[in-house]
Amino acid sequence: MDKAIIVDHLVKNFEVVERKKGITGVISSFVSPKKKTVRALREISFSIKPGELVAFIGPNGAGKTTTLKVLSGLLYPTSGFTQVLGFDPWKRNPKFLKDISLVMGQKNQLWWDLPAIETLELNKAIYEIPERTYKESLNELVNMLDVKKLLNIQVRRLSLGQRMRLELVAALIHKPKMLFLDEPTIGLDVVAQARMRDFIFEYNKQQGATILLTSHNMDDVINLAKRVIVIDKGKILFDGDLRELVSRYAKEKIIKVYLSKESDIKQLEKIGKVKKIDFPQAVLVVPRATAAAAAAELLHHFPVADLTIEEEPVDEIIRKVFSGEVKVAKMK
Amino acid sequence: MKKYFSIFKISFAQEFAYRVNFIMWRVRNVLQILLVFFLWSAVYTNPQTELFGYNREKILTYVFGIFILRALVLSSGSVDIAGEIARGDLTNYLLKPINYIKYWFTRGISSKVLNLGFATVEILILYFFLKPEFFIQTNPLQLLFFLSAVILAVVMFFSLLVLVNFITFWLPEGGWASQFLIIVIFTEFLSGAVFPIDILPQTIQNILYSLPFPYLLFFPLQIYLGKLSTQATLQGLAISGMWMTVLIVAMRRMWASGIKKYSAVGR
Repeated sequence: MDKAIIVDHLVKNFEVVERKKGITGVISSFVSPKKKTVRALREISFSIKPGELVAFIGPNGAGKTTTLKVLSGLLYPTSGFTQVLGFDPWKRNPKFLKDISLVMGQKNQLWWDLPAIETLELNKAIYEIPERTYKESLNELVNMLDVKKLLNIQVRRLSLGQRMRLELVAALIHKPKMLFLDEPTIGLDVVAQARMRDFIFEYNKQQGATILLTSHNMDDVINLAKRVIVIDKGKILFDGDLRELVSRYAKEKIIKVYLSKESDIKQLEKIGKVKKIDFPQAVLVVPRATAAAAAAELLHHFPVADLTIEEEPVDEIIRKVFSGEVKVAKMK
Repeated sequence: MKKYFSIFKISFAQEFAYRVNFIMWRVRNVLQILLVFFLWSAVYTNPQTELFGYNREKILTYVFGIFILRALVLSSGSVDIAGEIARGDLTNYLLKPINYIKYWFTRGISSKVLNLGFATVEILILYFFLKPEFFIQTNPLQLLFFLSAVILAVVMFFSLLVLVNFITFWLPEGGWASQFLIIVIFTEFLSGAVFPIDILPQTIQNILYSLPFPYLLFFPLQIYLGKLSTQATLQGLAISGMWMTVLIVAMRRMWASGIKKYSAVGR
Protein backbone atom coordinates (compact mmCIF):
# COMPACT_ATOMS: atom_id res chain seq x y z
CA MET A 1 0.00 0.00 0.00
CA ASP A 2 1.68 3.20 -1.07
CA LYS A 3 -1.15 5.50 -0.01
CA ALA A 4 -2.86 5.51 3.37
CA ILE A 5 -5.67 7.76 2.17
CA ILE A 6 -6.97 8.39 -1.31
CA VAL A 7 -9.74 10.93 -1.80
CA ASP A 8 -10.92 11.69 -5.30
CA HIS A 9 -13.64 14.19 -6.20
CA LEU A 10 -15.38 13.67 -2.89
CA VAL A 11 -18.75 15.39 -2.56
CA LYS A 12 -20.89 15.51 0.57
CA ASN A 13 -24.21 17.31 0.72
CA PHE A 14 -26.42 17.69 3.77
CA GLU A 15 -30.14 18.25 3.73
CA VAL A 16 -31.23 20.68 6.36
CA VAL A 17 -34.65 21.97 7.24
CA GLU A 18 -34.86 25.71 7.31
CA ARG A 19 -36.82 27.29 10.07
CA LYS A 20 -37.87 30.90 10.19
CA LYS A 21 -37.85 32.65 13.52
CA GLY A 22 -40.83 33.04 15.79
CA ILE A 23 -43.92 31.00 16.41
CA THR A 24 -45.19 31.29 12.82
CA GLY A 25 -41.86 29.96 11.64
CA VAL A 26 -42.13 26.96 13.90
CA ILE A 27 -45.63 26.21 12.66
CA SER A 28 -44.85 26.67 8.98
CA SER A 29 -41.75 24.48 9.21
CA PHE A 30 -43.86 21.87 10.96
CA VAL A 31 -46.57 21.92 8.29
CA SER A 32 -44.38 22.17 5.22
CA PRO A 33 -40.68 21.87 6.04
CA LYS A 34 -38.46 23.68 3.55
CA LYS A 35 -35.41 21.66 2.74
CA LYS A 36 -32.14 23.19 1.77
CA THR A 37 -29.06 21.43 0.49
CA VAL A 38 -25.80 22.40 2.14
CA ARG A 39 -22.80 21.53 0.05
CA ALA A 40 -20.26 20.66 2.72
CA LEU A 41 -17.61 19.20 0.40
CA ARG A 42 -17.36 20.15 -3.25
CA GLU A 43 -15.19 17.68 -5.12
CA ILE A 44 -12.13 17.57 -2.94
CA SER A 45 -9.17 15.38 -3.90
CA PHE A 46 -5.96 14.57 -2.06
CA SER A 47 -3.88 11.62 -0.96
CA ILE A 48 -1.77 10.91 2.08
CA LYS A 49 1.18 8.56 2.43
CA PRO A 50 1.55 6.13 5.34
CA GLY A 51 3.26 7.77 8.30
CA GLU A 52 2.51 11.34 7.25
CA LEU A 53 1.25 13.94 9.70
CA VAL A 54 -1.04 16.36 7.93
CA ALA A 55 -2.97 19.30 9.34
CA PHE A 56 -6.30 20.36 7.99
CA ILE A 57 -6.94 24.03 8.50
CA GLY A 58 -9.81 26.30 7.65
CA PRO A 59 -12.49 28.44 9.27
CA ASN A 60 -15.55 27.04 11.02
CA GLY A 61 -17.86 25.22 8.65
CA ALA A 62 -15.15 24.80 6.02
CA GLY A 63 -15.64 21.04 5.83
CA LYS A 64 -12.74 19.79 7.95
CA THR A 65 -14.74 17.71 10.39
CA THR A 66 -17.01 16.47 7.60
CA THR A 67 -13.94 15.16 5.80
CA LEU A 68 -12.72 13.36 8.92
CA LYS A 69 -16.16 11.84 9.41
CA VAL A 70 -16.32 10.57 5.85
CA LEU A 71 -12.83 9.12 6.16
CA SER A 72 -13.64 7.32 9.40
CA GLY A 73 -16.84 5.84 7.99
CA LEU A 74 -19.38 7.91 9.89
CA LEU A 75 -20.85 9.66 6.87
CA TYR A 76 -21.95 8.29 3.55
CA PRO A 77 -20.33 10.30 0.79
CA THR A 78 -22.75 11.81 -1.72
CA SER A 79 -20.38 10.99 -4.56
CA GLY A 80 -16.69 10.53 -5.28
CA PHE A 81 -14.11 7.98 -4.28
CA THR A 82 -12.55 7.46 -0.86
CA GLN A 83 -10.18 4.77 0.29
CA VAL A 84 -8.51 4.52 3.69
CA LEU A 85 -5.94 1.79 4.37
CA GLY A 86 -7.32 -0.04 1.36
CA PHE A 87 -10.92 -0.04 2.62
CA ASP A 88 -14.10 1.76 1.73
CA PRO A 89 -14.66 3.61 5.03
CA TRP A 90 -18.46 3.62 4.98
CA LYS A 91 -18.64 -0.16 4.77
CA ARG A 92 -17.25 -0.12 8.32
CA ASN A 93 -15.44 -3.40 7.92
CA PRO A 94 -14.34 -4.62 11.38
CA LYS A 95 -10.75 -4.98 10.13
CA PHE A 96 -10.82 -1.34 9.06
CA LEU A 97 -12.33 -0.21 12.36
CA LYS A 98 -9.61 -2.01 14.29
CA ASP A 99 -6.99 0.04 12.45
CA ILE A 100 -8.41 3.52 12.86
CA SER A 101 -9.34 5.92 15.61
CA LEU A 102 -11.14 9.23 15.64
CA VAL A 103 -10.62 11.56 18.58
CA MET A 104 -12.88 14.54 18.91
CA GLY A 105 -11.94 17.17 21.43
CA GLN A 106 -15.51 17.77 22.49
CA LYS A 107 -16.71 14.19 22.87
CA ASN A 108 -15.81 11.41 25.18
CA GLN A 109 -16.06 7.67 25.17
CA LEU A 110 -14.97 7.07 28.76
CA TRP A 111 -17.73 5.86 31.09
CA TRP A 112 -18.54 8.80 33.24
CA ASP A 113 -19.34 6.98 36.48
CA LEU A 114 -16.48 4.50 36.40
CA PRO A 115 -12.70 4.74 36.57
CA ALA A 116 -11.06 4.99 33.14
CA ILE A 117 -9.45 1.58 33.54
CA GLU A 118 -12.89 -0.02 33.12
CA THR A 119 -13.40 1.58 29.72
CA LEU A 120 -9.90 0.51 28.74
CA GLU A 121 -10.65 -3.09 29.72
CA LEU A 122 -13.85 -2.88 27.68
CA ASN A 123 -11.96 -1.57 24.66
CA LYS A 124 -9.47 -4.38 25.06
CA ALA A 125 -12.35 -6.84 24.63
CA ILE A 126 -14.04 -4.90 21.82
CA TYR A 127 -10.85 -4.64 19.79
CA GLU A 128 -9.88 -8.20 20.73
CA ILE A 129 -6.42 -7.15 21.92
CA PRO A 130 -4.34 -10.02 23.33
CA GLU A 131 -3.54 -9.66 27.04
CA ARG A 132 0.17 -9.12 26.56
CA THR A 133 -0.15 -6.55 23.77
CA TYR A 134 -2.74 -4.75 25.86
CA LYS A 135 -0.45 -4.51 28.87
CA GLU A 136 2.43 -3.27 26.73
CA SER A 137 0.47 -0.55 24.97
CA LEU A 138 -1.25 0.48 28.17
CA ASN A 139 2.09 0.88 29.90
CA GLU A 140 3.54 2.80 27.02
CA LEU A 141 0.60 5.18 26.68
CA VAL A 142 0.27 5.69 30.41
CA ASN A 143 3.92 6.65 30.65
CA MET A 144 3.88 8.91 27.61
CA LEU A 145 0.82 10.77 28.85
CA ASP A 146 1.68 10.54 32.55
CA VAL A 147 -1.69 9.25 33.71
CA LYS A 148 -0.76 6.26 35.83
CA LYS A 149 -2.28 7.76 38.98
CA LEU A 150 -5.51 8.70 37.22
CA LEU A 151 -6.49 5.28 35.92
CA ASN A 152 -8.43 4.24 39.00
CA ILE A 153 -10.26 7.48 39.67
CA GLN A 154 -13.87 7.93 38.61
CA VAL A 155 -13.86 9.85 35.36
CA ARG A 156 -16.30 12.48 36.58
CA ARG A 157 -13.85 13.53 39.27
CA LEU A 158 -11.09 14.38 36.78
CA SER A 159 -10.23 17.75 35.26
CA LEU A 160 -10.72 18.36 31.55
CA GLY A 161 -7.01 18.08 30.80
CA GLN A 162 -6.69 14.83 32.72
CA ARG A 163 -9.77 13.44 31.04
CA MET A 164 -8.52 14.37 27.57
CA ARG A 165 -5.29 12.49 28.16
CA LEU A 166 -7.21 9.43 29.29
CA GLU A 167 -9.51 9.79 26.29
CA LEU A 168 -6.42 9.59 24.16
CA VAL A 169 -5.28 6.42 25.93
CA ALA A 170 -8.71 4.89 25.25
CA ALA A 171 -8.57 5.92 21.61
CA LEU A 172 -5.08 4.54 21.06
CA ILE A 173 -5.09 1.37 23.14
CA HIS A 174 -5.64 -0.72 19.99
CA LYS A 175 -2.65 0.90 18.25
CA PRO A 176 -4.46 2.35 15.24
CA LYS A 177 -2.44 2.80 12.06
CA MET A 178 -4.65 5.71 11.08
CA LEU A 179 -5.48 8.45 13.53
CA PHE A 180 -7.97 11.25 12.96
CA LEU A 181 -7.77 14.08 15.48
CA ASP A 182 -10.45 16.73 15.51
CA GLU A 183 -9.43 19.74 17.60
CA PRO A 184 -7.29 17.70 20.01
CA THR A 185 -6.29 20.71 22.12
CA ILE A 186 -9.65 22.46 22.40
CA GLY A 187 -10.38 23.73 25.89
CA LEU A 188 -6.98 22.83 27.30
CA ASP A 189 -4.64 25.26 29.06
CA VAL A 190 -1.31 26.17 27.50
CA VAL A 191 0.69 23.58 29.42
CA ALA A 192 -1.75 20.80 28.64
CA GLN A 193 -1.79 21.86 24.99
CA ALA A 194 1.97 21.61 24.73
CA ARG A 195 1.88 18.21 26.39
CA MET A 196 -0.74 16.98 23.95
CA ARG A 197 1.29 18.22 20.99
CA ASP A 198 4.45 16.52 22.22
CA PHE A 199 2.53 13.32 22.54
CA ILE A 200 1.03 13.49 19.04
CA PHE A 201 4.46 14.20 17.59
CA GLU A 202 6.02 11.28 19.49
CA TYR A 203 3.20 8.90 18.60
CA ASN A 204 3.58 9.68 14.93
CA LYS A 205 7.32 9.11 15.07
CA GLN A 206 7.34 5.99 17.26
CA GLN A 207 4.39 4.12 15.82
CA GLY A 208 4.71 5.34 12.26
CA ALA A 209 1.01 6.07 12.40
CA THR A 210 -0.61 8.25 9.78
CA ILE A 211 -2.20 11.25 11.45
CA LEU A 212 -4.70 13.70 10.05
CA LEU A 213 -5.60 16.51 12.40
CA THR A 214 -7.75 19.59 12.33
CA SER A 215 -7.18 22.54 14.58
CA HIS A 216 -7.93 26.16 15.09
CA ASN A 217 -4.90 26.40 17.24
CA MET A 218 -2.07 27.67 15.07
CA ASP A 219 0.53 26.41 17.51
CA ASP A 220 -0.72 22.89 16.83
CA VAL A 221 -0.29 23.35 13.12
CA ILE A 222 3.08 25.08 13.24
CA ASN A 223 4.62 22.66 15.69
CA LEU A 224 3.25 19.42 14.30
CA ALA A 225 2.61 19.43 10.61
CA LYS A 226 4.99 19.82 7.73
CA ARG A 227 2.17 19.49 5.27
CA VAL A 228 -1.03 21.48 5.51
CA ILE A 229 -4.26 21.33 3.57
CA VAL A 230 -6.20 24.58 3.61
CA ILE A 231 -9.90 24.10 3.09
CA ASP A 232 -12.66 26.66 2.86
CA LYS A 233 -16.29 26.41 1.77
CA GLY A 234 -15.83 22.75 0.92
CA LYS A 235 -12.92 23.30 -1.44
CA ILE A 236 -9.21 22.76 -1.06
CA LEU A 237 -7.36 26.05 -1.42
CA PHE A 238 -3.85 24.90 -0.72
CA ASP A 239 -2.14 21.56 -0.26
CA GLY A 240 1.57 21.48 0.43
CA ASP A 241 4.44 22.45 2.66
CA LEU A 242 3.65 24.84 5.47
CA ARG A 243 6.72 26.94 4.63
CA GLU A 244 5.60 27.20 1.04
CA LEU A 245 2.24 28.50 2.20
CA VAL A 246 4.00 31.11 4.26
CA SER A 247 6.44 32.24 1.60
CA ARG A 248 3.73 32.39 -1.01
CA TYR A 249 1.35 34.48 1.00
CA ALA A 250 3.67 36.53 3.15
CA LYS A 251 3.40 39.75 1.16
CA GLU A 252 4.80 41.91 3.91
CA LYS A 253 7.71 42.10 6.28
CA ILE A 254 7.85 43.44 9.77
CA ILE A 255 10.48 45.97 10.85
CA LYS A 256 11.09 46.48 14.54
CA VAL A 257 13.11 49.55 15.47
CA TYR A 258 14.36 50.81 18.82
CA LEU A 259 14.67 54.55 18.77
CA SER A 260 17.20 56.30 20.94
CA LYS A 261 15.19 59.53 21.01
CA GLU A 262 11.51 60.20 20.82
CA SER A 263 10.63 61.27 17.29
CA ASP A 264 7.68 62.18 15.14
CA ILE A 265 5.27 59.35 14.45
CA LYS A 266 3.99 61.08 11.34
CA GLN A 267 7.41 60.87 9.85
CA LEU A 268 7.48 57.13 10.53
CA GLU A 269 4.19 56.67 8.77
CA LYS A 270 5.70 57.91 5.53
CA ILE A 271 7.93 54.85 5.48
CA GLY A 272 5.43 52.12 6.31
CA LYS A 273 2.26 51.23 8.17
CA VAL A 274 2.89 51.80 11.87
CA LYS A 275 1.41 48.88 13.69
CA LYS A 276 2.45 49.65 17.22
CA ILE A 277 4.36 52.34 19.05
CA ASP A 278 5.55 51.81 22.54
CA PHE A 279 8.55 54.02 22.97
CA PRO A 280 11.38 53.18 22.46
CA GLN A 281 10.03 50.35 20.27
CA ALA A 282 8.10 50.87 17.02
CA VAL A 283 6.71 48.15 14.76
CA LEU A 284 6.24 48.85 11.07
CA VAL A 285 4.73 46.74 8.33
CA VAL A 286 6.19 47.24 4.86
CA PRO A 287 5.77 45.49 1.51
CA ARG A 288 8.19 42.62 1.05
CA ALA A 289 9.87 44.08 -2.02
CA THR A 290 10.75 47.40 -0.44
CA ALA A 291 11.72 46.13 3.01
CA ALA A 292 15.45 46.74 2.50
CA ALA A 293 14.91 50.26 1.16
CA ALA A 294 12.60 51.08 4.05
CA ALA A 295 15.17 49.89 6.55
CA ALA A 296 17.87 51.97 4.94
CA GLU A 297 15.65 55.04 5.06
CA LEU A 298 14.91 54.45 8.73
CA LEU A 299 18.59 54.21 9.57
CA HIS A 300 19.25 57.34 7.56
CA HIS A 301 16.55 59.62 8.95
CA PHE A 302 15.89 58.42 12.50
CA PRO A 303 17.92 57.97 15.68
CA VAL A 304 17.91 54.18 15.54
CA ALA A 305 19.44 52.15 18.36
CA ASP A 306 18.53 48.77 16.97
CA LEU A 307 16.60 47.39 14.00
CA THR A 308 15.37 43.94 12.97
CA ILE A 309 13.50 42.71 9.89
CA GLU A 310 11.17 39.77 10.53
CA GLU A 311 8.81 37.54 8.61
CA GLU A 312 5.13 37.83 9.34
CA PRO A 313 4.03 35.26 11.92
CA VAL A 314 2.50 32.12 10.40
CA ASP A 315 -0.76 32.42 12.29
CA GLU A 316 -1.15 35.97 11.00
CA ILE A 317 -0.81 34.75 7.42
CA ILE A 318 -3.28 31.93 7.95
CA ARG A 319 -5.69 34.34 9.55
CA LYS A 320 -5.44 36.55 6.48
CA VAL A 321 -6.00 33.60 4.19
CA PHE A 322 -9.21 32.80 6.07
CA SER A 323 -10.50 36.31 6.30
CA GLY A 324 -9.97 36.78 2.57
CA GLU A 325 -7.41 39.57 2.94
CA VAL A 326 -5.10 37.41 0.88
CA LYS A 327 -6.65 35.68 -2.10
CA VAL A 328 -5.46 32.14 -2.52
CA ALA A 329 -5.51 30.99 -6.10
CA LYS A 330 -6.62 27.40 -6.54
CA MET A 331 -3.65 25.20 -7.23
CA LYS A 332 -3.16 23.01 -10.32
CA MET B 1 -18.34 -13.53 22.51
CA LYS B 2 -15.74 -12.34 24.99
CA LYS B 3 -16.53 -8.84 23.80
CA TYR B 4 -20.06 -9.06 25.02
CA PHE B 5 -19.07 -10.66 28.29
CA SER B 6 -16.90 -7.62 28.99
CA ILE B 7 -19.84 -5.36 28.22
CA PHE B 8 -21.87 -7.43 30.66
CA LYS B 9 -19.28 -6.88 33.38
CA ILE B 10 -18.90 -3.13 32.87
CA SER B 11 -22.68 -2.66 32.83
CA PHE B 12 -22.86 -4.46 36.11
CA ALA B 13 -20.21 -2.18 37.62
CA GLN B 14 -22.07 0.85 36.28
CA GLU B 15 -25.28 -0.11 38.10
CA PHE B 16 -23.46 0.01 41.41
CA ALA B 17 -21.78 3.34 40.72
CA TYR B 18 -24.45 5.30 42.53
CA ARG B 19 -24.97 3.48 45.80
CA VAL B 20 -27.77 5.61 47.19
CA ASN B 21 -29.63 5.47 43.92
CA PHE B 22 -29.31 1.73 43.87
CA ILE B 23 -30.58 1.30 47.41
CA MET B 24 -33.53 3.60 46.72
CA TRP B 25 -34.41 1.56 43.68
CA ARG B 26 -34.55 -1.59 45.77
CA VAL B 27 -36.53 0.08 48.54
CA ARG B 28 -39.05 1.25 45.97
CA ASN B 29 -39.37 -2.33 44.73
CA VAL B 30 -40.05 -3.70 48.19
CA LEU B 31 -42.59 -0.98 48.96
CA GLN B 32 -44.37 -1.71 45.70
CA ILE B 33 -44.65 -5.37 46.58
CA LEU B 34 -45.99 -4.58 50.05
CA LEU B 35 -48.50 -2.11 48.68
CA VAL B 36 -49.94 -4.55 46.17
CA PHE B 37 -49.89 -7.39 48.68
CA PHE B 38 -51.92 -5.50 51.29
CA LEU B 39 -54.30 -4.16 48.66
CA TRP B 40 -55.23 -7.61 47.40
CA SER B 41 -55.22 -9.11 50.91
CA ALA B 42 -57.85 -6.53 51.84
CA VAL B 43 -59.95 -7.39 48.80
CA TYR B 44 -59.79 -11.11 49.61
CA THR B 45 -60.27 -10.91 53.39
CA ASN B 46 -62.79 -13.71 53.21
CA PRO B 47 -60.87 -16.83 52.08
CA GLN B 48 -63.91 -18.00 50.12
CA THR B 49 -63.99 -14.91 47.88
CA GLU B 50 -63.38 -15.57 44.22
CA LEU B 51 -63.28 -12.71 41.73
CA PHE B 52 -62.87 -13.09 37.95
CA GLY B 53 -61.78 -16.69 38.48
CA TYR B 54 -59.04 -15.73 40.94
CA ASN B 55 -59.09 -16.89 44.52
CA ARG B 56 -56.82 -15.43 47.17
CA GLU B 57 -53.99 -17.86 46.52
CA LYS B 58 -54.00 -17.34 42.78
CA ILE B 59 -54.26 -13.56 42.86
CA LEU B 60 -51.34 -13.36 45.26
CA THR B 61 -49.31 -15.68 43.08
CA TYR B 62 -50.30 -13.50 40.14
CA VAL B 63 -49.14 -10.35 41.87
CA PHE B 64 -45.84 -11.83 43.00
CA GLY B 65 -45.35 -13.54 39.65
CA ILE B 66 -45.80 -10.23 37.88
CA PHE B 67 -43.07 -8.74 40.04
CA ILE B 68 -40.58 -11.42 39.07
CA LEU B 69 -41.61 -11.29 35.43
CA ARG B 70 -41.34 -7.53 35.31
CA ALA B 71 -37.80 -7.80 36.60
CA LEU B 72 -37.08 -10.27 33.82
CA VAL B 73 -39.00 -8.86 30.88
CA LEU B 74 -39.70 -5.18 31.38
CA SER B 75 -36.48 -4.11 33.05
CA SER B 76 -34.87 -2.23 30.23
CA GLY B 77 -31.67 -1.51 32.10
CA SER B 78 -30.52 1.90 31.10
CA VAL B 79 -31.66 1.82 27.51
CA ASP B 80 -30.69 5.25 26.35
CA ILE B 81 -30.48 4.59 22.65
CA ALA B 82 -32.69 7.58 21.84
CA GLY B 83 -30.43 9.84 23.89
CA GLU B 84 -27.29 8.47 22.32
CA ILE B 85 -28.66 9.06 18.85
CA ALA B 86 -29.92 12.56 19.66
CA ARG B 87 -26.69 13.63 21.38
CA GLY B 88 -24.50 12.01 18.77
CA ASP B 89 -22.87 9.58 21.18
CA LEU B 90 -23.76 6.80 18.78
CA THR B 91 -20.66 7.85 16.86
CA ASN B 92 -18.48 6.26 19.53
CA TYR B 93 -19.96 2.86 18.75
CA LEU B 94 -19.94 3.26 14.99
CA LEU B 95 -16.19 3.75 15.16
CA LYS B 96 -15.66 0.43 16.87
CA PRO B 97 -15.87 -3.16 15.70
CA ILE B 98 -19.00 -3.83 17.69
CA ASN B 99 -22.67 -4.51 16.97
CA TYR B 100 -24.71 -1.76 18.56
CA ILE B 101 -27.91 -3.81 18.94
CA LYS B 102 -26.08 -6.74 20.51
CA TYR B 103 -24.29 -4.27 22.75
CA TRP B 104 -27.57 -3.01 24.19
CA PHE B 105 -29.03 -6.49 24.38
CA THR B 106 -26.05 -7.52 26.50
CA ARG B 107 -26.51 -4.52 28.74
CA GLY B 108 -30.17 -5.39 29.07
CA ILE B 109 -29.35 -8.96 30.09
CA SER B 110 -26.84 -7.66 32.61
CA SER B 111 -29.42 -5.42 34.17
CA LYS B 112 -31.97 -8.25 34.21
CA VAL B 113 -29.61 -10.60 35.99
CA LEU B 114 -28.93 -7.96 38.61
CA ASN B 115 -32.58 -7.06 39.00
CA LEU B 116 -33.68 -10.69 39.16
CA GLY B 117 -31.02 -11.53 41.72
CA PHE B 118 -32.11 -8.78 44.07
CA ALA B 119 -35.80 -9.28 43.41
CA THR B 120 -35.51 -12.97 44.33
CA VAL B 121 -33.82 -12.19 47.62
CA GLU B 122 -36.34 -9.50 48.46
CA ILE B 123 -39.29 -11.72 47.65
CA LEU B 124 -37.87 -14.59 49.69
CA ILE B 125 -37.54 -12.30 52.68
CA LEU B 126 -41.04 -10.93 52.23
CA TYR B 127 -42.37 -14.47 51.77
CA PHE B 128 -40.83 -15.41 55.08
CA PHE B 129 -42.55 -12.52 56.87
CA LEU B 130 -45.89 -12.47 55.10
CA LYS B 131 -46.33 -16.22 54.65
CA PRO B 132 -48.81 -15.96 51.78
CA GLU B 133 -50.24 -19.10 50.19
CA PHE B 134 -48.47 -19.55 46.89
CA PHE B 135 -49.30 -21.66 43.94
CA ILE B 136 -46.23 -23.67 42.94
CA GLN B 137 -46.27 -25.12 39.45
CA THR B 138 -44.71 -28.59 39.39
CA ASN B 139 -45.56 -29.94 35.95
CA PRO B 140 -42.21 -29.92 34.04
CA LEU B 141 -43.90 -29.51 30.65
CA GLN B 142 -45.78 -26.49 31.91
CA LEU B 143 -42.53 -25.04 33.30
CA LEU B 144 -40.84 -25.61 29.96
CA PHE B 145 -43.64 -23.78 28.18
CA PHE B 146 -43.35 -21.00 30.75
CA LEU B 147 -39.62 -20.66 30.15
CA SER B 148 -40.06 -20.51 26.36
CA ALA B 149 -42.74 -17.86 26.73
CA VAL B 150 -40.45 -15.78 28.95
CA ILE B 151 -37.55 -15.96 26.51
CA LEU B 152 -39.82 -14.92 23.65
CA ALA B 153 -41.15 -12.07 25.81
CA VAL B 154 -37.66 -10.83 26.68
CA VAL B 155 -36.60 -10.66 23.03
CA MET B 156 -39.94 -9.17 22.00
CA PHE B 157 -39.81 -6.39 24.55
CA PHE B 158 -36.19 -5.61 23.74
CA SER B 159 -36.93 -5.31 20.00
CA LEU B 160 -39.97 -3.19 20.67
CA LEU B 161 -38.07 -0.84 22.93
CA VAL B 162 -35.13 -0.49 20.54
CA LEU B 163 -37.48 0.05 17.64
CA VAL B 164 -39.21 2.87 19.45
CA ASN B 165 -35.84 4.39 20.33
CA PHE B 166 -34.78 4.28 16.69
CA ILE B 167 -37.54 6.79 15.86
CA THR B 168 -35.00 9.35 17.06
CA PHE B 169 -33.08 8.88 13.80
CA TRP B 170 -35.90 10.69 12.03
CA LEU B 171 -37.32 12.76 14.88
CA PRO B 172 -34.46 13.81 17.15
CA GLU B 173 -36.85 15.36 19.66
CA GLY B 174 -39.41 12.57 19.55
CA GLY B 175 -37.53 9.84 21.38
CA TRP B 176 -38.77 10.47 24.87
CA ALA B 177 -42.42 11.01 23.99
CA SER B 178 -42.76 7.88 21.90
CA GLN B 179 -40.91 5.82 24.48
CA PHE B 180 -43.26 7.02 27.16
CA LEU B 181 -46.32 6.24 25.06
CA ILE B 182 -45.25 2.74 24.11
CA ILE B 183 -43.65 1.68 27.35
CA VAL B 184 -45.80 3.28 29.97
CA ILE B 185 -49.21 3.33 28.35
CA PHE B 186 -49.29 0.27 26.14
CA THR B 187 -46.96 -2.07 27.93
CA GLU B 188 -48.07 -1.37 31.47
CA PHE B 189 -51.79 -1.53 30.76
CA LEU B 190 -52.01 -4.14 28.05
CA SER B 191 -49.44 -6.64 29.26
CA GLY B 192 -51.18 -7.49 32.53
CA ALA B 193 -48.75 -5.57 34.72
CA VAL B 194 -51.44 -3.52 36.42
CA PHE B 195 -54.42 -5.92 36.36
CA PRO B 196 -55.08 -9.40 34.96
CA ILE B 197 -56.24 -9.11 31.35
CA ASP B 198 -58.98 -11.72 31.73
CA ILE B 199 -61.06 -9.34 33.81
CA LEU B 200 -61.68 -7.36 30.61
CA PRO B 201 -64.69 -8.00 28.30
CA GLN B 202 -64.15 -10.90 25.90
CA THR B 203 -64.13 -8.75 22.71
CA ILE B 204 -61.34 -6.56 24.04
CA GLN B 205 -59.40 -9.62 25.13
CA ASN B 206 -59.71 -11.08 21.64
CA ILE B 207 -58.25 -7.93 20.11
CA LEU B 208 -55.45 -7.82 22.68
CA TYR B 209 -54.42 -11.39 21.98
CA SER B 210 -53.57 -10.52 18.41
CA LEU B 211 -51.19 -7.80 19.67
CA PRO B 212 -47.75 -8.43 21.18
CA PHE B 213 -48.46 -6.85 24.58
CA PRO B 214 -50.26 -9.67 26.50
CA TYR B 215 -47.45 -12.03 25.55
CA LEU B 216 -44.96 -9.98 27.53
CA LEU B 217 -46.27 -10.73 31.04
CA PHE B 218 -49.81 -12.02 31.14
CA PHE B 219 -49.45 -15.00 28.83
CA PRO B 220 -46.27 -16.47 30.44
CA LEU B 221 -47.87 -16.12 33.86
CA GLN B 222 -51.08 -17.82 32.71
CA ILE B 223 -48.97 -20.77 31.61
CA TYR B 224 -47.30 -20.86 35.01
CA LEU B 225 -50.65 -20.73 36.80
CA GLY B 226 -51.86 -23.63 34.62
CA LYS B 227 -54.82 -21.69 33.33
CA LEU B 228 -54.30 -22.50 29.66
CA SER B 229 -54.90 -25.70 27.71
CA THR B 230 -51.95 -27.15 25.78
CA GLN B 231 -53.58 -26.05 22.55
CA ALA B 232 -54.02 -22.48 23.76
CA THR B 233 -50.44 -22.48 25.03
CA LEU B 234 -49.02 -23.62 21.70
CA GLN B 235 -51.15 -21.14 19.83
CA GLY B 236 -49.96 -18.32 22.09
CA LEU B 237 -46.34 -19.35 21.70
CA ALA B 238 -46.78 -19.33 17.92
CA ILE B 239 -48.25 -15.84 17.97
CA SER B 240 -45.52 -14.46 20.19
CA GLY B 241 -42.89 -16.17 18.02
CA MET B 242 -44.42 -14.50 15.01
CA TRP B 243 -44.45 -11.10 16.72
CA MET B 244 -40.87 -11.57 17.81
CA THR B 245 -39.80 -12.23 14.21
CA VAL B 246 -41.73 -9.24 12.91
CA LEU B 247 -40.22 -6.95 15.55
CA ILE B 248 -36.67 -8.17 14.95
CA VAL B 249 -36.96 -7.69 11.20
CA ALA B 250 -38.47 -4.23 11.67
CA MET B 251 -35.74 -3.27 14.14
CA ARG B 252 -32.99 -4.38 11.75
CA ARG B 253 -34.54 -2.50 8.83
CA MET B 254 -34.88 0.63 10.90
CA TRP B 255 -31.28 0.38 12.00
CA ALA B 256 -30.02 -0.02 8.44
CA SER B 257 -31.85 3.02 7.13
CA GLY B 258 -31.39 4.91 10.40
CA ILE B 259 -27.60 4.93 10.33
CA LYS B 260 -27.71 6.20 6.76
CA LYS B 261 -29.81 9.05 8.04
CA TYR B 262 -27.65 9.58 11.09
CA SER B 263 -25.32 12.29 10.04
CA ALA B 264 -23.27 12.69 13.16
CA VAL B 265 -23.97 16.40 13.06
CA GLY B 266 -23.44 18.26 16.29
CA ARG B 267 -21.23 15.60 17.71
